[in-house]
Amino acid sequence: MNTDRATVEELVYQTCTALDRNDYSEFLGLCDKQFEYKVTAFSPEIRRDMTWLDHNRAEMEELFNTLPKHNSDHAPLTRNAVVYKVSYDKDQKQANVVTALQVFRTNLDGGATKVFAVGKYYDTVSLDSEKPILIKRHVKLDTRDLGWGNHIPF
Amino acid sequence: MSRNSQQWSQKPSLPPTHYADPMIYSDPAIFEEEKEKIFKKVWMLAIHESEVANANDFRTYQHPGGTPLVIVRGEDMKIRTFYNICTHRGNLLVYEPSGNAKKLVCIFHQWAFDAKGNCVDIPRGKAGYQERVSESDVGLKEVRTEVGYGGFVWVNLDDSCGPLSEHIGSSLDYMLPELEAEPLEVLWYYQATLRTNFKLIHDTNSEFYHDYLHYHNRITGMLDSKSGYFQRKYTAFPNGHASVGSMNVSYDAYTGSGHSKLGWPKLPTNGWKLVDLFPCITFNLRTSVLRIDSYIPLGPDHVILEFRILGLKSDTPEIRQQREKDAATIWSPFGRNLHEDLLASSGQGIAMAKGSDPMYVLHAREEDLTIHDEVGMRHYLEEWSKRMGRSSSDPMHQATAPKQQTTVPKPQTKDVAQTV
Repeated sequence: MNTDRATVEELVYQTCTALDRNDYSEFLGLCDKQFEYKVTAFSPEIRRDMTWLDHNRAEMEELFNTLPKHNSDHAPLTRNAVVYKVSYDKDQKQANVVTALQVFRTNLDGGATKVFAVGKYYDTVSLDSEKPILIKRHVKLDTRDLGWGNHIPF
Repeated sequence: MSRNSQQWSQKPSLPPTHYADPMIYSDPAIFEEEKEKIFKKVWMLAIHESEVANANDFRTYQHPGGTPLVIVRGEDMKIRTFYNICTHRGNLLVYEPSGNAKKLVCIFHQWAFDAKGNCVDIPRGKAGYQERVSESDVGLKEVRTEVGYGGFVWVNLDDSCGPLSEHIGSSLDYMLPELEAEPLEVLWYYQATLRTNFKLIHDTNSEFYHDYLHYHNRITGMLDSKSGYFQRKYTAFPNGHASVGSMNVSYDAYTGSGHSKLGWPKLPTNGWKLVDLFPCITFNLRTSVLRIDSYIPLGPDHVILEFRILGLKSDTPEIRQQREKDAATIWSPFGRNLHEDLLASSGQGIAMAKGSDPMYVLHAREEDLTIHDEVGMRHYLEEWSKRMGRSSSDPMHQATAPKQQTTVPKPQTKDVAQTV
C-alpha cells in the first residue's frame, strides 16, 4: 500500500484540473470501475440532507456523453481544492480524503469571475495498486443557491 | 427580412390577447402594482406542512407582497402564520429559516410570543409602560392560513379574502387523488435567485412548445407520438389556473436518465400531470416525484425561485433515496431540464431588461389546445389583465383595457394517456 500523501493529493488535484478542462475521459481514467459520485447539501430550511446527484460510473459516463446534446451554460468553472486531511485504512488499503473546494465561474463574455459554490470533497481513494484511484467522491455543498445550475458536476 | 425601428416596435397583426407588451416584464411601477393588486390579494403556497411537522416548529417565508412571515405549528397542532415582525421596535422576530421554539423571542429586547401570536413577556413591562401598554395590546399580526391540496400551507395577506377553495376552484381536482393518497414529505428545497421576471418562468411552465429547448428529451424518443405527449390538451380554469392532460413518459427511451420503475400512488405508471396556478405556482407530478414551484419576486427583474421535491411520508430510506435519484436527473441544480429552463428564462430577463427595446412577445400558437398551443399563457395574462386593470398587450392604457377574449377551453374529458 502506497501511503505517500503527495500522490493522494495529486490525484485530487488532477481530478479538478481534468474537470476544469472538461476532459472527462481523463477524469474517468482517475476513477475506479466501481466509482460512485454524489452531491449533497444540508438544507437549514427543511433541516435535512438533500441529494442532488447520485451516479455510478456508468451513469457518470452517460452524463458526460450526453452533455453535447444539452443546452448548457458554457462559462468555464475553475475548482480550487485544498486537501485538508488524509487518513489511511490499512485493512482496506484505502485513504479517506477531506478537501476544501471552491468553484469559480468565469463569464465567457468579459471574463468576470465570481464564486459559484463552496463545499468539500469527501473522497475514498484506493491505494491497492501502483497509482491511487478514486473509488468514491461525495461533494458536500455549503452553497445551495446555484442560480440557473450547471450540467457539469463539481 | 430584418426590421427597422418602426417595424420592430409595431404591434403584431394579431388579436391583442395573443401578444404582450414587454413592459409588463420589466417595468418597476407595474411590479409595485402587481404586489398590491395580485400578491397581497391572492393565496400563495408558502411551505409544506412537513416543514413544521412538530409542535412549536417554525418556518419563515418571504411573502412576495413584501412582508416577512413566520409559520408556526402550535401545541394544538394548528398551523398559524404571523408577520415576522416584533411588535416593539419592528425588528425581525425570527432570523433562522426554521427551528423549534416554545416561544418566539426577539433578540433585541427579549419580547416573547407564543405559537398563537400572543405576547407573553415584556421584560420590565410594568416598570416602563405602567398600565399604558400591556401584553394583550401587542400581539403579533396573524395572516390568513389554510392547509390543503396535499398538505401545503397557503397564506393570504388579505384579511377579507375568500377561502382557498374559492381561489383554487376545480383546477387541482385532477391531481387530488395523487396529492391526497398519502401524507407527503419534502425531500428537497432548492432556492435559485435569478435576474428575470417571475412571469417569464411561469410562462415556461405554461407552454410546452419549449420542448425544443430540451433537445435531448426529444431526440431520445421520450416524447414519442405513442406517449400521448402531443395529444395532451390544456384545460383552463377560472382565476388564471390551467392544467395539461396526463401522459406516459417513455423514460426507457430517455438515454442516461437512470430513472427507476418507482411510481406514485394512484398515478398511472410513468404518468405525468401538471397544473399551473395563478400567479406563480406549479404542481408537477412526474412518475415518482412531485415538484412544486413557487416564486418570490423581489423586483421586475429579480426573483427567488423555490423548488420543492416531495415524496411520501411513509417512504423507507431506500425508496426516498430512489425518489431523490429520479428527481436529480431532471430537476436538481445539476439536472438536465431545470438548467435548460432557467437558462432560457434568464436569457429572456437579459434580453427584455428595461431599456433594451424588446419587441412585443408572442403567445399566439393555436393548435386545438394541444400541447404546443399557447393558450396557457393567454389564459394567465387574461387573469393578470383583469386583476391589474391593464391590458397585458397595452398596459399603459388602463381605462381602455380591451374586453378580454375568453380563452377558457372546454375541459379535456378523457385522459389522453389512457387512449394511446
